[in-house]
Amino acid sequence: MLLNYLASIARFTPEIILVVTMIGLLFVESTYSNDAKGSKKGYLYATAYLGLLFTLVKLIGSLGDAPGGIFTNALTIDPFSTLAKIIMVIGTGASIYLSRRSDDIYDKLKGEFAIIAIGVLIGGMLLASANNMLMLYIGIETLSILSYVLASLKKNDDRSSEAGLKYSLYGGISAGIMLFGMSHIFGVVGTIQFAGIVDKIQALDTMQVAILMPSFLMFFAGIGYKIACVPFHMWAPDVYEGSPLPVTTFFSIVPKIAGIAVLVRVTMTFFGGDTSALQMTWVGSLSVIAALTMTVGNVSAIGQRSVKRMLAYSSISHAGMMMMGVVCLSEIGVTGIIFYGITYLFMTLVAFFITSFVQDEYGNDHFERFNGLITKHPLMAIFMIMTMFSLAGIPPFSGFVAKFNIFNALIDKDFYVLAIIAGMNSVVAIYYYLKIVRLMVFKSSESEEKVSGFGFTNQLVIAILTVPVLVLGIFWENIIVVANGAKIFIQ
Amino acid sequence: MSGTSNLLNWILWMPMLGALGVLLIPKAKENAIRFWALANTAITMVLTAKLWMGFDNSIAGMQEAFTVKIPWIKQFNIFYHLGVDGISLPMILLTSVILFICILSSWTVKKQIKGYFALILFLQSTIYGVFFSLDFFLFYVYWEVMLIPMFFLIGIWGGENREYAAVKFFLYTFFGSILMLVGMVALYHATGKGVDSFDLLALKASADEFIKMKVSLFGTEVAFDKLFFMFMFIGFAIKVPVFPFHTWLPHAHVQAPTAISVILAGVLLKMGTYGFLRIAFPIFPGAAVYFSNFIAILGLINIIYGAFCAMAQTDVKKLIAYSSVSHMGFVMIGMAAMTSQGLNGAVLQMFNHGTSAAMMFLLIGILYERSHHRWIVRPDGSKGFGGLYTQLPVFSIVFIIGMFAAMGLPGLSGFISEALIFFGIYQKFTTMTVLALLGLLIGAAYLLWMFKRMFFGDVVEECKSYTDMNAREIFYMMPLCVAVILFGIWPSPILDIMKASVNSLVTLLANYQ
Repeated sequence: MLLNYLASIARFTPEIILVVTMIGLLFVESTYSNDAKGSKKGYLYATAYLGLLFTLVKLIGSLGDAPGGIFTNALTIDPFSTLAKIIMVIGTGASIYLSRRSDDIYDKLKGEFAIIAIGVLIGGMLLASANNMLMLYIGIETLSILSYVLASLKKNDDRSSEAGLKYSLYGGISAGIMLFGMSHIFGVVGTIQFAGIVDKIQALDTMQVAILMPSFLMFFAGIGYKIACVPFHMWAPDVYEGSPLPVTTFFSIVPKIAGIAVLVRVTMTFFGGDTSALQMTWVGSLSVIAALTMTVGNVSAIGQRSVKRMLAYSSISHAGMMMMGVVCLSEIGVTGIIFYGITYLFMTLVAFFITSFVQDEYGNDHFERFNGLITKHPLMAIFMIMTMFSLAGIPPFSGFVAKFNIFNALIDKDFYVLAIIAGMNSVVAIYYYLKIVRLMVFKSSESEEKVSGFGFTNQLVIAILTVPVLVLGIFWENIIVVANGAKIFIQ
Repeated sequence: MSGTSNLLNWILWMPMLGALGVLLIPKAKENAIRFWALANTAITMVLTAKLWMGFDNSIAGMQEAFTVKIPWIKQFNIFYHLGVDGISLPMILLTSVILFICILSSWTVKKQIKGYFALILFLQSTIYGVFFSLDFFLFYVYWEVMLIPMFFLIGIWGGENREYAAVKFFLYTFFGSILMLVGMVALYHATGKGVDSFDLLALKASADEFIKMKVSLFGTEVAFDKLFFMFMFIGFAIKVPVFPFHTWLPHAHVQAPTAISVILAGVLLKMGTYGFLRIAFPIFPGAAVYFSNFIAILGLINIIYGAFCAMAQTDVKKLIAYSSVSHMGFVMIGMAAMTSQGLNGAVLQMFNHGTSAAMMFLLIGILYERSHHRWIVRPDGSKGFGGLYTQLPVFSIVFIIGMFAAMGLPGLSGFISEALIFFGIYQKFTTMTVLALLGLLIGAAYLLWMFKRMFFGDVVEECKSYTDMNAREIFYMMPLCVAVILFGIWPSPILDIMKASVNSLVTLLANYQ
């Protein structure tokens, strides 16, 4: 037994490194008082980056390991969860970098952002690996409670406080509903292990399955809230808009990817193999929700004045696109989701980084602030254009390949209608992405002032983040091989 | 499995190299940028000529000697597969010539010329990509990428309402290509089990399987080939543009700068009809035959409706834009006939309309540089132009050649292709032939009426200050004048190229009638 636990701990190192990093950050934050100007920041970020780097290296190193359950199967370590974790770690690192550079977070609180963000990341990683109801719940709550703090990080700002309150209210209610659904499922089947639940469900008769349906829908509400899919998305735009921009960046990556990962695992584990009435309900509602999520996200994004809010709605629609991959219940679908997640990470980061620096310069993030960016910062404008085309799914950028992979999975299962809905949505989406392109290129700006945030280092970071946006659109063979390996391990 | 020659790679990537080169030249050296771009298109033109020299007219399929096939994404069986046959070669020749002329005609562009020439060369490369691709995925990528340079070229260098036109163009084409994407992926999954592929030749070979397949949509069974033929049809029809999908064209044409209108009319519209010939017809021959009446009717509407719309225009560029709609209708109806003459005529008409429409748009561009307006009749009812014939004799002569070529006057290129189309369609659609002939009459009417109003009559005061065409303008109009006259009396060079390939398509389609 002891050996078993030791072996489990060995596979749990990424999370442990992160916990140690978090404690180390707390130590650095409290030891070096505020008067030491540069040094404190330096130590703080060095600790954070080092911790994340170690985690990343460890995760990448363990990609090829045989999948297995740890801690008596409470968590599953498989290539799928590892890939999801890698995406989240990169997203967190980039968000912490942005938080350091951004004026949107008070200087005094920058250390707090890093600490809490790593906490959220730990929650997300638990969620991606969760193999029973309890771990799932712990993961979601770790993720959520810390996120509430992040949302209201700008203490003196009304909108930020509003965001925090809204987030926690919605979060609390949905967690309650989910817990109720879970307890009902536990009551019927008598186990919290995902794999055990599957076995038990198959033994049930139709009436008993019918009773389980509402519980599963309640269970879904909790996950749906994390992904911000329709109709659980109401909180998202306000929270995204109210939160400081680095926090928004963080929110549109880590909780979203964690939510998608757990949705994939739950769906594949429960319904990957059987064709019960329950599966029909689950997959049927998922496909309707996915279609609605895309459509509502895209249509709402059109009318926005704030770029941040527009990106928030667009991230809702991208979540809908990833859910389409879940609906397929196939390995190609999972491959598509992983690929989508990887490209989504980089596209989101580039878009938010550029928006953040523009916002810091001009005080707000209205569309007009992008006017004539191409004459002031040609390189940044070109990167933004590439990202916008990529988000819209236009070749040769990676967003197109991601879209193609989802289409591939949908049509493989003969879901033509869903594919057409997804396609029409990208026609709607191109309209508002083009709006930014138009403003940057066709309009001239009122002020000649350059954006001071685009210093050499920041430009370099944005350039590095843009590389995958283009390269993964042309040379995507290797990533597909990696994503193909991301099998869900069911045990 | 590659051919012996790398020529197609060179033609495809040369403009891309040129575009990168433009970016490296300092902004201030405007002439260096212009000459670099010109030299680049000239080299490409020479390479194209070399391709024509090495082309074997007797081969119906792909010219094996030039085929390039390199694995791109192995997991999906996607290949970087280029090839050329008798249907694509005329389009390649057209592209090379038109782009060379466009660079020359863009000499007067003043605004941000570095970006302008880089985008035009980039656009040229993507056009070759579309015409060369033998892998559906590659085709689709080029088809879409082409939108990016077009969007900026219309949106930055266009007329007053350029943004609206650019967005409309982008959205329309993108809508069509999404349907095409769904169809493409569906085809990929349908090509037999185990050998999923995007290869257009492999897809063509499994055409019979597609006819037998069914698709379930909302619980109803739909024939696979008919459904996805319609998807492809919409995708390509928007580009042509076929009647209900044509509304983007007048805006895009009128707002685009001269060179872009020329490329749009001369080459890009042909990509739509080329898509039918390369993809929709060979892969779904059954459905193509099934829908042939429908396509012919839409083509007829294009001819007549486009002609009437053209007649009503007071803006001369819009008039020519609608005349393009009308002329592309001839291509559609010729293709729908599926007879040897009809299809040969259609492909020839694609080529000939490319030269004559390019001439018209270039001439209007030349005129616009002098007049800065394009009104035949101004909104207040006064004449925009008048008596140009006495003021600009050289210009008028070139204009007459272009106009009569567009009209289809015997002896000029338009006549041969239209005559072939009429011979072709008469065997199948007798009534429609008569109606289409009527369209020809209307076509003559609006062109002559335009000519009368602009070139004859009293000289409008401001026309007196216009200067005639300069040497550069005459130089770049020359090749097109020669082309319309030469191919009007001796069309065999072009017909010989396409004959074998087109006839094999006709034979293929005949099996399903």
